[in-house]
Amino acid sequence: MGSRTVLICDDAIFMRTMVGDILQAAGFEIVGEAETGVQAVERYLQLRPDLVTMDIVMPDMGGIDAVREITKQDPGARILMCSAMGQQALVVEAIQAGAKDFVVKPFQPSRVLEAVNRVLAA
Amino acid sequence: MDLAKYAELFRTESREHLAEIDTALLSLERDGDAAHIAVLFRSTHTIKGMAASMGYSGVEQLSHALETLLDVMRVGARAHDPDAIALLFDGSDALSQSVNDAVAGRGSMLSPAVVALLERLSSAVDLPTAVQTVAVPDNNHIFGAPMLPQDFGNLELRDTVGQPDTSVAEKIVEIRLAPDASLKGVRALMVLARIEAMSTVRSIVPPQHTWNDDTFDGTFTIAFGTSKADDAIESSIRGAGDVARVTFRAATVARSERETLRHVRIDLRRLDTLLDLVGELVITRDRLVRTADGLTENGADRVLAGVVHDTSRLVSALQEEVLRTRMVPVGQVFDRFPRLVRDVARDLGKDITFVTEGREIELDRSLLDAIGDPIVHLLRNAIDHGVESPDTRRRAGKHPKGRLILRAARDRAAVVVQVEDDGGGINRDAVLKRAHSQGLVDADITTLSDEALLKVLSKSGFSTAAAVTSISGRGVGIDVVASRVRALGGALELQSVLGRGTMFTLRLPVTLAIVRALLVRIGTETYALPAAHVIEALEYDPSAVATLRGQETVTLRDDVVPLLRLRSRFGLDAHSDEGTHLVMVETGGHHTALQVDSLIGQQDVVVKPYDGVHGAETLFTGATILGDGTPALIVDLGGLT
Repeated sequence: MGSRTVLICDDAIFMRTMVGDILQAAGFEIVGEAETGVQAVERYLQLRPDLVTMDIVMPDMGGIDAVREITKQDPGARILMCSAMGQQALVVEAIQAGAKDFVVKPFQPSRVLEAVNRVLAA
Repeated sequence: MDLAKYAELFRTESREHLAEIDTALLSLERDGDAAHIAVLFRSTHTIKGMAASMGYSGVEQLSHALETLLDVMRVGARAHDPDAIALLFDGSDALSQSVNDAVAGRGSMLSPAVVALLERLSSAVDLPTAVQTVAVPDNNHIFGAPMLPQDFGNLELRDTVGQPDTSVAEKIVEIRLAPDASLKGVRALMVLARIEAMSTVRSIVPPQHTWNDDTFDGTFTIAFGTSKADDAIESSIRGAGDVARVTFRAATVARSERETLRHVRIDLRRLDTLLDLVGELVITRDRLVRTADGLTENGADRVLAGVVHDTSRLVSALQEEVLRTRMVPVGQVFDRFPRLVRDVARDLGKDITFVTEGREIELDRSLLDAIGDPIVHLLRNAIDHGVESPDTRRRAGKHPKGRLILRAARDRAAVVVQVEDDGGGINRDAVLKRAHSQGLVDADITTLSDEALLKVLSKSGFSTAAAVTSISGRGVGIDVVASRVRALGGALELQSVLGRGTMFTLRLPVTLAIVRALLVRIGTETYALPAAHVIEALEYDPSAVATLRGQETVTLRDDVVPLLRLRSRFGLDAHSDEGTHLVMVETGGHHTALQVDSLIGQQDVVVKPYDGVHGAETLFTGATILGDGTPALIVDLGGLT
């Protein structure tokens, strides 16, 4: 089995780089990045990655709508929400929309990987 | 994670967002279009997320405050008037400054200007709960959960309404999330969703709608009906992530309609009365047996002997059943202690792991009620004086976290309850020194065995000396514990090793309702000596009495044992009519010979509580009514000797 593929969705290059570094160090292959919700949906359908990390607040369709759209097309999509503190209600909404788990910024590599493993195991 | 390599990225991207914020603010000021607010919110939010990741708390706080204001404006709860826009401009400037400071390594302190701005921002929001109120959906419907009664009190009622599927078992599970878990409320909902997927949820404590409150600590209990096995339930719950502990509580509620019918509620007083009556019946049975024995010896009435035998057997069975109905697991009392230990340990700055063992061991409920206080006393003592502070433990090469065990176990006919700590143990030298100075032990005694130590600690004069706690590390109130335990017909034991820890053992009868006793006569009264302590009874021989160090002793075979004349101990005239018998008793490993006027015989007696003279030292643990209706006091042998 080759390494697991990941699509990273976040409007900040900073966050994409950080998440990408964490996952790459753990042996994941970053197959794509998206800066907006619309891009996230497009790239997902095109790349069909094993895992998606999804920021909640993005321009041009937010992360939650993107989750809804992706899971509508592929109910088996494995999406990990990336949230900031104080977004309790939005995280709940994202999970209801079909996201499998969440991590909260600031990211600790160990926590991100735990969550990723839970998502992949589900 | 090495953050330094991200710092430049942070600065570059933050500047882009700050520029975007300024552009959007200018547009908002010009055309007042609320669409700009969404842009402002997003950029501020992005900066916040990056700052949090970099550990730049100043930037994070400021962007969070701005974001909160923007969110209130975005949902229309506050107008974007010139005041608000001016505030946002100030905020943007301060944010820009904070970003530069943070990247330059000056970001650890908030400048006074920023602090002032934070205050203005928070008062501008004015509706501290507005964000939550608008954004939080009704959690009761989030995962399709039905509206639920929020306490377990209603459970029984629900179950009796019919749960025909008997394969469904009721579970009550306490879930504790990892203390460092983020967004505990959301995680708890994920756990609940998993439970709902395999069961019918009956009740949730604390209520689900409080899970997003700051006060929610990540511990919650869910009651549900399921056909799944415990392991499967647990692994599914743990699969939700961040679950530190899953505890299955005994479902004390009836499990199904069929089982509900097998239980009835009985007033405890009725149960007590029933026990009293059975006790009297047992005593009467003994008289009947004795009378019948006499008759059959004389007239050889076989029929009577048979009937008496059967009656006797039935009464024994009845007694056993009644006693069984009163048995309750010690867990009922033990369950209140984890919280107590936590609180006391926290107050005293101790770090303690508390373990309870043998929760399922059963005791008569009146006994169980009575041992609560002594256990509290011993636990407090162990935390206060037994377990050392984390620093002291570290220096002694121990694990900084102390261990405190509360254990119940069956030991033949008795139940033992132990309070064990791995603390510093009791300093015998200090106790001995103190005891010498108070004249509590003879000067020539230089070592204290565990029993002698307990005896000294149990002297009320000793234990009330306040200074003792600091030197001996123990002693307060042990006399109270010892006398309470004796009053229950039990005994207190102690084992302590300096530097290693201390264990107190309460040895208790399984039931205190009926005890076997040796009845003796002193003066005109009958007294009962608990047979558990009686070794033998013998004729009194005045020539065997000698006085050693002011203490009367009697030599029996090769042993010299202290002699206690009950007549004078009970304050009756020690007149010439000397007692005819000695009863040898054993308490706490020591033998004592009690002189009594005469022996009456052994029989079971029903123990009734005896209050004595309020506040006075009592020589008795209880009273009983004999078969012929006369009362007799039950002697506190542990207290006498």
